Amino acid sequence: MGSLDSYLPIFVLFVLGVAFAALSLVASRLLAPKRPTYAKEAPYESGIIPTHELPQRFPVRFYLVAMIFVIFDIEVIFLFPWAVVYDQLGRFGLIEIIVFAAAVFFSFIYLIANGALDWGPVKRVRPVSAPTSRTSSSTVRRVSGSDGEAA
Amino acid sequence: MIPTSFAAAISDPLFAKGFGLAVLITILVKVVVAFAVLMVSVMLMIWFERKVISDMQNRIGPNRAGPFGLLQTLADGTKLFFKEDLLPERADRLVFRLAPYFSVIPAFLIFTVVPVGGVVTIAGHVVELQVADPPIGILVVLALSSLAVYGTMLAGWSSGSKYPLLGSVRASAQMISYEAVLGLTVVVVVLEAHGLSTRAIVDSQASAFWHWNVIRLGVIPFVLFFIASTAELNRPPFDLSEGESELGGGYHTEYSSIRFALFFLAEFMNTVTMSAVVVTLFFGGPDGPGFHVVRWLWPILWFAGKTVVFCYIQVWIRAALPRLRYDQLMDLGWKRLIPLALAWLLIVAGFVWSLAWGFAIIGGCIVAGLMLAQSMKVARLRRDELSLAGERGEGGDVVPALGSAERVGG
Repeated sequence: MGSLDSYLPIFVLFVLGVAFAALSLVASRLLAPKRPTYAKEAPYESGIIPTHELPQRFPVRFYLVAMIFVIFDIEVIFLFPWAVVYDQLGRFGLIEIIVFAAAVFFSFIYLIANGALDWGPVKRVRPVSAPTSRTSSSTVRRVSGSDGEAA
Repeated sequence: MIPTSFAAAISDPLFAKGFGLAVLITILVKVVVAFAVLMVSVMLMIWFERKVISDMQNRIGPNRAGPFGLLQTLADGTKLFFKEDLLPERADRLVFRLAPYFSVIPAFLIFTVVPVGGVVTIAGHVVELQVADPPIGILVVLALSSLAVYGTMLAGWSSGSKYPLLGSVRASAQMISYEAVLGLTVVVVVLEAHGLSTRAIVDSQASAFWHWNVIRLGVIPFVLFFIASTAELNRPPFDLSEGESELGGGYHTEYSSIRFALFFLAEFMNTVTMSAVVVTLFFGGPDGPGFHVVRWLWPILWFAGKTVVFCYIQVWIRAALPRLRYDQLMDLGWKRLIPLALAWLLIVAGFVWSLAWGFAIIGGCIVAGLMLAQSMKVARLRRDELSLAGERGEGGDVVPALGSAERVGG
């Protein structure tokens, strides 16, 4: 253990996987027909002929998520060696990780409070201005006269 | 010392020289068996999923090819070989061709580090029933599941089409978000196992079911890991990357023929493998009562049985739960699962040291949770203020929130 010999099987399976995928593609090329037309090669838009160019930009939130992810992924990477030797570190290890987690957590709180991880449309908080004369009895139309009967 | 090992690494990058023939044969047999098992299990998994979902929806499901429709997957796969392989004209040709490899190869490799059985002795050689046992086993799982993001991302980006691009951007944001949860819960397991190798993790849970991590660590890490792995696989209810009702087919919309089959294969292979990883991390892997008759067989049966149970649960979840909305998905991942995973890690670390520390940390985590709730409230108030200001046509005096800059005044 410890040397690279335990990785050899992974490498062999990697080669096997590449070979499998490549052979499948070769087989498909030999067996499948090749009759491309304009309609087949056009971008799929549920049957509509695309009029606009492909959007080059997408919402900035995706970039934000990627950046925030880096913070947490680095945190996780630092946690692994700590977790392996936690028994030997003793109380020092515990206090250390609390300080570390607190530092990450406060930056996380800052991000949340700034709305960095808010998705979806901004909620409309328009005041409701329904006419006061409108009640349930004025809205629900009774087909027959009596109340107990369902329409 | 360094030059010689460097020279050795150049001439023999995998340090295979010191191997005897027996070791080499063992490795080859293991790899071929693993490959065959993976292919067959994927075939059965697809059939199983279709059949179980049919049952749950009161349909019959595939029943034509082979007994009980078992060979349906094989028939579908063969059919795909004969289908026209289209390359969209706006696609980035090289990346479009490469993306299926990025997707399918990590799927093959994750299974290598999963221990499927105990240790057996064949003709004097001790053989672990596990394809490879690298000392950083569980990190290999995390690394390869991160690599799978590339397949999804590049497939959608290179297609040169609207829906695949949207699907892949969604999928990569989702996968990296839940990867943090995945990592944090694995740290809890490592804390208890004192090692990163999957064999060490399994050994630390051996001998009785109350030693299994699912019980020993509290149920929370298991639940978090299972949710996160479902999201990582883009399986329902987290399948926003291929939401049929809004994105066509998601990131693989433009793929046809065998290239599509490779994505499909990767998806189901990952489902099986992730079930196996859950079993390894939290349910003792091949651990379970055995008998003296054929002693090597029982662990394998236990492992296979537990894995099938988790495959079934994945299918069940797919049949039972509706798809999440994207903001719900991100809120669940970032604002609930990640803080909870971090808190649980600290709590377990505290209880490992002493009871008093554990309760002190629980108190600290409750305070932190209140702070988190307060910060979410601040964000919400800020958003409301923004939208009101936008309706009044001002908006200049309010600092725009980080994430919602493009919505100001809209």
